[in-house]
Order: sequence, then structure tokens, then C-alpha cells
Amino acid sequence: MSETGDVREPGARELILNGIFAENPVFRLALSLCPAVAVTTTVLNGLILGVAVLAVQVLSSVTVTLVRSLIHPRVRIPVYTIIIAVWVSAIDMTLSAFTPALYAQVGLYVKLIVAFAIIISRLEIFASRHPLVPSFFDGFGMGLGFLLALVVIGAFRELLGNGSFAGIPLAPGKPLLFFALPAGGFFSIALLMAFFNWVDRRRGGSGGSGGPHG
Amino acid sequence: MSELVHIDGAPRPPTSPREIVRIAINLTIVCALGALVLGGIYMGTERYQEAARLASERHAVTELLALPADATVLEVSQSLDPGRRLVVYRAKPYGAADAAARVLVFGLDGTRQPGAPAAGATQSLGRFFVGREHGVDAGFVIEGETRGYKNRIRFFVALDSTYHIAGVRVLEHEEDPGLGAEVATSWFTGQFLGRSSEQVSSMDVTRDPMPEDWRGALATLAHEGAAAWRAAHSALVTREDAKAVYAVTGATISSRALTRGVRGTVEHFRRRWALLAPQLGGGQ
Repeated sequence: MSETGDVREPGARELILNGIFAENPVFRLALSLCPAVAVTTTVLNGLILGVAVLAVQVLSSVTVTLVRSLIHPRVRIPVYTIIIAVWVSAIDMTLSAFTPALYAQVGLYVKLIVAFAIIISRLEIFASRHPLVPSFFDGFGMGLGFLLALVVIGAFRELLGNGSFAGIPLAPGKPLLFFALPAGGFFSIALLMAFFNWVDRRRGGSGGSGGPHG
Repeated sequence: MSELVHIDGAPRPPTSPREIVRIAINLTIVCALGALVLGGIYMGTERYQEAARLASERHAVTELLALPADATVLEVSQSLDPGRRLVVYRAKPYGAADAAARVLVFGLDGTRQPGAPAAGATQSLGRFFVGREHGVDAGFVIEGETRGYKNRIRFFVALDSTYHIAGVRVLEHEEDPGLGAEVATSWFTGQFLGRSSEQVSSMDVTRDPMPEDWRGALATLAHEGAAAWRAAHSALVTREDAKAVYAVTGATISSRALTRGVRGTVEHFRRRWALLAPQLGGGQ
């Protein structure tokens, strides 16, 4: 992907696929792994947090790209943080008002989205250097990539750890409780990452994800 | 945006005072705009947030009392009038926001004071709920608060008509997930079930490991009602209810905080109810 992006702005389809596959935040960039481990004990938790991240990413990317010429470059990181914090708080208040039962489960993690490396890195790498439309699709693709990763990890861990899918029991007892615990979360991500790399190699891609960045 | 490049590594030119002022104005505007957006959203969602809070509280009270649908619930809120050294109780049917409250005033020494209190600065001392079936007190839910590891823990303690603990539910807390937050789970709060208010007064916390059979029994509590669970495990409950509460491993402070909170709340309620029962209590 061109990061200077002055020659030609990438198209919507390209940007969305980039977020889901080529630069998937969890499986490829290995960003925001801590929250990815913390919330993905069930597929539903992963889905809810994924949707919240998607919303924050899109809203923040759009905000940053709209005001990028007004932000003083010396203080751009604090400004990004404030923009992310505003949208996270807005989503936090909305969730707690309209879905109190869900909020009771994931409310603690929603506040943590402020510190998600993936969001601020997309603002710095992409939204601050590209116009509105590509920034929207970059944010959407990255958010969607994160959401899908959380859902896949959540499904994997819930199935193995609790023997259920989205709360519906499929197997008696807890087959491999280890996968529901934090250590099992890292193993799940490693296994899935390896699987994605393997698929990518078979398809003739470059394969291999970057090292962990936070 | 070519200035962006020199931030990474390259030496920065000294910042002029003019530049500093521009940065300060820039940040101030961003913060003010952010505050404006958040304020607007808060005003728009406050109503729904409050309604959601009331609905979940109502659900918790009915579930903890476990009374049939025709039972009535009385809400009693207690407040302190520090200036005149009075404790004011307001009792009214639960959920009826516009119903007239019955007001009872006591001095700090527990003597009943005549007349209604003047409207003035008062300090809330929490609430409790009395479930009443066929005119007889059938159970109590008391709101309590304690200082947890990070922030306050707000909880409900339910007592049955003989003042044995029928349930403890944590409503709000900010303890660490996986550690202090475990005190909100039924395997921890289940340890309070069945204790009499006398046993609660001497209840302590231990860091000893929890016996396996007790741990196994508590693990099933989440799937059964508290009353059915107490009946099914009566031997174990009787064995454990005079003993100390087993702390969550790695979260002794949170475990102590909730235990202390439950103890204080029950003791305080018994003293209050001794004064109020002749006025507000139903029959028997």
C-alpha cells in the first residue's frame, strides 16, 4: 500500500480487503493483542467489542481527515487521542443507555478502546494524509478486519473452552477450559495467525506477519 | 503537511513563543469542541441511562426477594439532617414515583421525633426495600456500599423474614477483571447465603484454600435459584455458614471489602429496622 498516496488514492474495495486480509490488525499487524485476548472468551463479546471498535475507527478516521489541515503538527498525537476519547465516550454512553445488559458485560473494555494501538496508528499512517473518502474506507476496512478477527478468535475459544457457540451449548461440560483462560487466548491467536499465514502461502502470498508492536 | 516528516528523528527548530500560543489555542479549541459533543450526547442519553438503571435495579430487587407477583414492595430511603441531628425515613410503595411518602423522623439517639422535617440540606444514607406478602414482611433487600480496591462497590443484600442472608448481588464495581471482579460472581457471593445476621456480625475473611466440595457446590449456584440451591446443599451451607469467607485468590482486599460491606449493611439494617418495624412492619 502506498503510504504517501499522492499519486493515486486506493479504491474502496482495495482498502477494505487490505484491512481484512493483507493488513489485518490482529493477524497481520499484531496490534491491540491485549484487548483481543481479554474480550474474546465468547463470540458475542468479541462481536460487540468489534462493532464498537469499528464505529470508533470510522468516526475517528473521518474526524481526523476533516480537521487534518487545522491540527498543529506538534500536537497531533494529543489531538488524535482526544478525538478517539470523545468518540469512545460517546459510544460508551450510548451503549449504557440503550443496551444496559450488554454494557454490563463489555462496558469495562469499551473504555479501553481509547488506548487501542490500531486506531491511533491508522489515524497517523492513513487518515492524516489522505482525503475523506479513502480515509473512511481505510477506517472501515481496518475496523472490519479487527471485528472479524475478534469474532473468529471468540468463536474458536468459546467452542474449545466452553463447548458452545454464542451461548448455545454444543458439547457437554468444558472440553478444553484452557482456551477460555488468558494464556489460551494467546495460543488461540498464535494458532489462527499460523493458519492465516499458511493459507496465504498456499495462495502464493508473501506470508508471515510482522512482529508484535503493542 | 510536509512538517510532519521532521517530527521523526530530525532535530526540531526551537519553538517560538508565538508557536506556543498557537499550539495552546489549537488544543483548547479541540478540547472545547470535544466537551461540547460529549455534553450534547450526555444530555440526549441521560434519560435512557437513568431508566435503564432503574429497570435493572427493579429486576434485581424482585429477583432477590423471590416473591410472587402479587406481593407488594415498600421502598424506604433514609437521610440525615446533620444540622438538626435528625434521621429522616421516607417510605412509599416501590416504583410509584408520585405516591405520597410516609415520613418518620428519629433523633440520633433513636427516639421518635414528632412532626415532619423541614425541607433542608440532607445527606442520603441509602435505601432498603421491604417485600410484603399478604400483609406480612416476607423479605428485605438493603442497598449497601463499600470501598473496594479501586472505587466504591455498590451492592444489594437480601435477608429473608428470619434475617438470614438470602442473596448478595454486586450492582456496580470497578475491580480488576479476573481478580477483584470475581467478588461479584455467584461463587463468591454464594458464600454469604444462609448466614444469620448474628453469624454475619462475626463473619471474617480467610486466605485458606476453599474446600473442594464447597467450591463444587458454589459453582452450580449460577444455574439454580438461591433458595433451591440452599435446600439442595443444606448440609454444606450449615457446615460453612459459621466459618470465615474464603477470599478470592489474589484479591484479598476486594474480598475483605465486600465482606465488611455486607456485615456493616446487615448490622446497620437490623438497628434501623428495630426502630422502624413497629411503625412500618407488616403484622406478626
